[in-house]
Amino acid sequence: MTTHYDVLIIGAGPAGLSAAIEMKSLAPHLNIGIIDEYLLAGGRLLGQLYEESKGQWWNGFRKSEELRQQIQQLNIDLFLEVSVYDLIIKDESVTFFTERGRMTSKYALIATGASEVPTPIEGWTLPGVMSVGAAQVMTNVHRVKPGKQGVIIGVNMLSSAIAMELALAEVNVKAMALPLYSIENEQHAIPKVIFKQVMAAAHMAPSLLAKLGSKILFTDHLKDFAIQFYPKKGIKMWGIPIYMRSAIKRIEGEGKVERVIMVDITTDGKEIPSTERAIPADFVCLSGGLTPLAELVSLAGVPFYAIEALGGHVPLHNEQMETPIPQIFVAGNVTGIEGAKVAMAQGRVAAQSILLRFNQSSKKQLQQRIAQVHEERRHAAIQFHPLLEQGREELYEKWKLEQSQ
Amino acid sequence: MNNQSSIICRCEEVSSKKLHQVANEQRCSARELKLRTRAGMGYCGGRTCRIAINKIATHYQATQTTNLPLKYQAPIRPVSFEQVGTGGELK
Amino acid sequence: MRIHHHPVLRPLQRKEINFTFNGQTYKGLEGEPIAAALLANNIRTLRVHEESGTPRGIYCNIGHCYECRVTVNGIQGKRACLTPLTHHMDINSGEILSTAVRDWRKQHDHSL
Repeated sequence: MTTHYDVLIIGAGPAGLSAAIEMKSLAPHLNIGIIDEYLLAGGRLLGQLYEESKGQWWNGFRKSEELRQQIQQLNIDLFLEVSVYDLIIKDESVTFFTERGRMTSKYALIATGASEVPTPIEGWTLPGVMSVGAAQVMTNVHRVKPGKQGVIIGVNMLSSAIAMELALAEVNVKAMALPLYSIENEQHAIPKVIFKQVMAAAHMAPSLLAKLGSKILFTDHLKDFAIQFYPKKGIKMWGIPIYMRSAIKRIEGEGKVERVIMVDITTDGKEIPSTERAIPADFVCLSGGLTPLAELVSLAGVPFYAIEALGGHVPLHNEQMETPIPQIFVAGNVTGIEGAKVAMAQGRVAAQSILLRFNQSSKKQLQQRIAQVHEERRHAAIQFHPLLEQGREELYEKWKLEQSQ
Repeated sequence: MNNQSSIICRCEEVSSKKLHQVANEQRCSARELKLRTRAGMGYCGGRTCRIAINKIATHYQATQTTNLPLKYQAPIRPVSFEQVGTGGELK
Repeated sequence: MRIHHHPVLRPLQRKEINFTFNGQTYKGLEGEPIAAALLANNIRTLRVHEESGTPRGIYCNIGHCYECRVTVNGIQGKRACLTPLTHHMDINSGEILSTAVRDWRKQHDHSL
């Protein structure tokens, strides 16, 4: 078995798989390998499930399987259950150190996606507490319920999407609430801030938080609805009460989750004394949203910039998905948090950029693929941050600046 | 106003209280906070707690210009000597 | 705990097999991650913290956090969330390890 490739792709998610398919379809002689540490191909796409329009479902599990079949038909080497722990760039090639030995390639696409931001809270090491993405994977990928009754801590795009998916699978979610304020959880714990995000989301996620946003507006007939009017008992979405005037203070139980303790809070997130009450639960999901998983890109020596609208520290790259390191390309959520369809379109852009290095594409084709990223972004079912486009522009400006120096 | 009873670093069981106390006393970088408390130095390599450690360190610093987030170091996954010793070819 | 009927997703076709966890025999589905098989049997504690002995279960479920590491067929440090279940697989939780230096520090460093 060869360990030398023309192109190695790290991450078998929507970006990585799409890039591989694009490259191999247009240049069948290229030797392409994909590495992923999970046991299935698809990455975060595997767990996604939402109704795009009446009766039309975006079924990430099925989509992942379709992509995997294409990979197989195109004879692309797919290495699952292989973790990469280091890389070096030497003599114009990239060497990846994996659990099963070394693999080298002329070019590498790093499409490692995103990881979840935790919201540490007292009791979060108890068995039964998991990230919200963990519950999504258990439910939608492996078809095991995370528990009999649970609570989601953290109100954001990701947790709302997954709450809906859990409801669909008839997982009993008894409440969705903010974590009680702490410095570490600051961004996720202040009702007036979260409330603004939810209202902004009304324009960004027609199928998700928007419903909550419009429900609030509809319920109160108030143009300038404010957080102080948010009902104490929460507003129900998909049968789950969403609280913004109460927060979870801690998780309790003997050796496992048995209950969460909820308190009332001010609009600034301050605890109102003597309001503690217990909600019985055998599982808890924590969610602070997603952030790019950039370990490998960082080891490659690509500089990073902190851009909040993109989800945190992102590697420097341009619209062609090139990085300042000539052998390294990036695509998908490692470049900023967006939906799977954008990630797939970005993967195809990276593919075209790499194909150009092998003289197997044209600038025109590359431009067409870039235009498709914009198209997907405009039509995205979920936009994770209202200033996403500005965030992207900000990074491209940094690129221009760096190139001019 | 801070709820500090939680653990931040799950691998080394470093509490929020300990991290706040050291960050407040030392006004140090995230890296120094990590070295002083072992938060982020456990089995997972700080993958779960790095954001919280950065946040706590930054909170106590007078100027944020000196604040550098924790960097990534190889190996980014725990790896056995057997695996490191495996030379060129895939098994 | 298993979802047999989902309004949108088609059921998984998988073979039922036996495995052991800490010496006891359970049933799971071939190829599913160990973590899913254990959760389906309502087992949430996968290991204990090596120093304090506090129980731990799955946290991230995609291989980042290493909280679910178990010993599989004698090999330590396997992530239950990433390791597919096979027939007769022997899975064990770790134990509390002695940490002499830490124990000494606990008695002498009162800031801990």
